[in-house]
Amino acid sequence: MKKFTINRFLVKLHDPRERTFFLALFGGKMLGLLACFVIVFGLPALLTSMTGKAHAQTASATSNTVAKALDAATNAIAGAAAAAPAADATPPNPPYVNPLNTMWVLVTAFLVFFMQAGFMFLEAGFARTRETVNVLLEGIVDTCLCGVLFWAFGFAWMFGSGNGFIGNQYYFLQGIPDTYGSTGVATLAYFLFQFAFADTCSTITSGAMLGRTGFWGDLWYSIGVSGFLYPIFGHWAWGPDGWLNNIKPAAFHDFAGSTVVHTIGGMIALAGAIVLGPRLGRRFKRDGGGPMPGHNMTIAAVGAVILWFGWYGFNPGSTLSAMDMQGIARVAANTTLAACSGGLASLFFVYPRSRKWDCGMTLNGLLAGLVAITCPCYWVSPGGSLIIGAVAGVFVVVATDVLEYLRIDDPCGAFPVHGVCGIWGTLSLGLFATGEFGAPTPTGADTSADALVKGLLYGGGTDQLVAQVIGNGAIGIGVFIVAMALMYAVKATGTLRISKEGELEGLDLHEHGAGAYPEQVTSSI
Amino acid sequence: MKKIEAIIKPFKLEEVKDALQDVGIQGMTVSEVKGFGRQKGHTEIYRGSEYTVDFLPKIKLEIVVDAGKVAEAVSAIINAAKTGKIGDGKIFVSNVDEAIRIRTEERGPGAL
Amino acid sequence: MKKIEAIIKPFKLEEVKDGLHDVGVEGMTVSEVKGFGRQKGHTEIYRGSEYTVDFLPKIKIELVLPDSKVPEAVGAIIKAAKTGKIGDGKIFVFSVEEVIRIRTEERGEAAV
Repeated sequence: MKKFTINRFLVKLHDPRERTFFLALFGGKMLGLLACFVIVFGLPALLTSMTGKAHAQTASATSNTVAKALDAATNAIAGAAAAAPAADATPPNPPYVNPLNTMWVLVTAFLVFFMQAGFMFLEAGFARTRETVNVLLEGIVDTCLCGVLFWAFGFAWMFGSGNGFIGNQYYFLQGIPDTYGSTGVATLAYFLFQFAFADTCSTITSGAMLGRTGFWGDLWYSIGVSGFLYPIFGHWAWGPDGWLNNIKPAAFHDFAGSTVVHTIGGMIALAGAIVLGPRLGRRFKRDGGGPMPGHNMTIAAVGAVILWFGWYGFNPGSTLSAMDMQGIARVAANTTLAACSGGLASLFFVYPRSRKWDCGMTLNGLLAGLVAITCPCYWVSPGGSLIIGAVAGVFVVVATDVLEYLRIDDPCGAFPVHGVCGIWGTLSLGLFATGEFGAPTPTGADTSADALVKGLLYGGGTDQLVAQVIGNGAIGIGVFIVAMALMYAVKATGTLRISKEGELEGLDLHEHGAGAYPEQVTSSI
Repeated sequence: MKKIEAIIKPFKLEEVKDALQDVGIQGMTVSEVKGFGRQKGHTEIYRGSEYTVDFLPKIKLEIVVDAGKVAEAVSAIINAAKTGKIGDGKIFVSNVDEAIRIRTEERGPGAL
Repeated sequence: MKKIEAIIKPFKLEEVKDGLHDVGVEGMTVSEVKGFGRQKGHTEIYRGSEYTVDFLPKIKIELVLPDSKVPEAVGAIIKAAKTGKIGDGKIFVFSVEEVIRIRTEERGEAAV
């Protein structure tokens, strides 16, 4: 048996093969050691720091005890009762967590979360058989990714204080207060509610990109959308110090996100559809072609109704307060009426073309009404909501035609519904706000004079309309430019669009190894 | 023996089946197919836009009969399936060399 | 008259249809079938486990033509459906004795 000697080792190191072998072995050992260190020391430290708040409290409690003990000792030594004031510095009362508001926000967060099911149904129904699994998995993975990213930095950038353009607080949810701002809502309930919103935004995008996006591409752009675009642009309007809150003479108002969720989602969807190009075989109207019909209208219709149901969390929940009863009721009623008039408007607007009652367009019409009423729902009257929804129902049809003319393939109509009607809904506040309503507060509605929102048609002048144009324009145009850059960046990695063979075979078999309906023949006829 | 293959409009299947039973034909195979001929496609509506469906749904009926029964069967199908409008379908007749009933292993016309 | 039956890959249908149209074939019947030949099955994935699918989805095209047109049509199908990979499919040609158009009751080549 050969003995190991330093000499022999050094000689062997001259041989490049031996050297590589040694380095690989040595590197592996070091990596293993590092992993052990991380597990033994890093993990507990990380987990302790992640409990953030609680840990800090314990620490301060401990230091208080120490301080008290010290004070007692001092007092004893000095024997002077007059030195007592230091001992009276009891820790401040924890901020008041309003149980009703917290429950309200949690329940509506669950409703908003359920909109994922609606989106998955709607998109799967509007997709072809061969990409159903892809659409479903995309919706689920979007949600998972969004949760992790929103925990890590999305919430920090959107809802932390920083400057007017980006937040810089609460990374990894560290150092969060008991309640968010003055809402009385437990911060983690608020986090959950806002996570569900962020998730909605990134799923909207996938509707315009289905049928031809590779799954790696899906992952990359989803990270871009829910990790960067949505939180940063969202901060402009909804951040505690977002610059759109401070524009003069009227601040930008977006009650539940016609701009923040829907315009952002719709604009990114448009950018994605443009950069991807149409699905193979999709010919447009002016080239003598037509749409590629979705494969399951039953699922699409049920999906749209689930979305409508989820909207009762989206809009009424955005009061963040269960105490503003009139406000919640008004928002819920307005939401319903806009959906009704949107659906009817689309139905009757497309009827004369073909003398057929069009189900698919009616679904998008009611969604268009919902998207449009999302921004103004708190400040308009039920009558105003009907008009806002009806206009949205017409806009969605016209926008679909325009996309068809421009040869942009948007399989679900994400841009006509969320982009165009998000813009319309945001602007409509500047027209239809009645001037009777101010803002919801943790204890009820605030109808003081400086909180009231009044639109042009109710004699409020153009101030609010101008604010809406500035806010929506800044966010819409900004996000479109960045989204184009994002999509081209993903395209540059070669993962955005699936290969021609993969697309013809279908994303399900090509990317996921199985179809949604394996027991049936699912072909192209 | 002859095989008669008829492509007909889907809603005519019941009538054709009854007519064939009336002339004493007891078995047939039916499948859902798609196709086009002079009828070409038609347009359908999807979310506000029209698109052309090239292949229309049809029913394919396959029966194997004794050569002497072909004329009767063909006219039964024609009578039942005819609407006089384009898209009524076609009937093809071809030769069958052998027929076997699997259960009994009978061969020839006895197996039909 | 001959009947051509072709089994092709599903996503080749459009190309085959267009190819046949270019050589003047006016009608055809299409059905969704499953089958296997030398391609055998392939594996799919279900909740992390692979399983073999023996029967792969295919498209069956049937058309009936005058004898003289058969080589042209067969050529068009081959040209459109061929990828060079296993599983491209097969073409079968049979004799057809009679063809009847149901609407007009025309017979023979006039009905094709």
